[in-house]
Amino acid sequence: MISTGNDIVSLNAINITRTNNSKFYSKILSTPESKLYNEPLAATIPFENFVWLLWSIKESAFKYLQRITPDLLFTPVKFEVTQLQTPSEYKLINFGIGELTGTGFNDESAFKAVILFGSDTLYARSFIYNELICTVVHKSENFGETYWGIKYINDGQYDNQSKKVREFLIQNLQRLASFDNIIIDKNQHGIPVIILGTKEMLIPASLSHHEHFIAYSFQYKRS
Amino acid sequence: MTRHEILDELKKVIAPYTTNKEMLAGIDDQTDLIRDLKINSANLVDIIIDAEAKYDIEIDYDVADKMMIVGSCIDVISEKVNEKQ
Repeated sequence: MISTGNDIVSLNAINITRTNNSKFYSKILSTPESKLYNEPLAATIPFENFVWLLWSIKESAFKYLQRITPDLLFTPVKFEVTQLQTPSEYKLINFGIGELTGTGFNDESAFKAVILFGSDTLYARSFIYNELICTVVHKSENFGETYWGIKYINDGQYDNQSKKVREFLIQNLQRLASFDNIIIDKNQHGIPVIILGTKEMLIPASLSHHEHFIAYSFQYKRS
Repeated sequence: MTRHEILDELKKVIAPYTTNKEMLAGIDDQTDLIRDLKINSANLVDIIIDAEAKYDIEIDYDVADKMMIVGSCIDVISEKVNEKQ
């Protein structure tokens, strides 16, 4: 089954003091994962961003697998990040108030990670800006058919986030083909599904939002 | 502590993380923190940490996945409070 999983964390919303408390981060990171925060990485991002980067990777992996196993529950420490690679040309910059979309990832700007969950191995690509961390997870290192988008929205109320992320996804799906009458719904397990007319499309999509940021990912094979 | 007493206190723990105050007032065992109360998943660890402080308990990481549904939250808290006594 094809799937996709994404997550976005608004760094303005996190509690830095709390995140740096071991009582907090030990609910997210295992001891071996804490060791991934090595000297080169520490020179690149602060520890709180590392914690939320791993959260974002784990939540994206969970969302990827939840589409396949809907009863799956999310316990962050059960998703093991075994490798984390900082992009070669990483520079912390502002995301700003615009939007960014893409297909696949440029390895010079995205963090790369490998996640293990039971017998599953998944791969993540993440962006870190001053204001946000955004991750997409896939089952292989080939993200060539993975479409993603990140956008700033003015109104950060929950209901508006939810509405705007659906509009953002539809707008970018319609750039690929003439998909009229598309709606984004959720199935009985709360997983997003794309409905064209009355039929569910075989395009797995993942949505995320946090305060003023929204993001999507989907898998699509061009014919 | 009865389940009802835990529920009343749990509402106070959850309150800072939801804007859906009307729904919060009427939560029951079936209420889903993310789907019903529209709590961002990034705040789930905050809720666990706040619940630990409120009840002076420690919630192991391997039961954290039960803290998504109000009824399961009460089960976990009740069990930990009883272990302490």
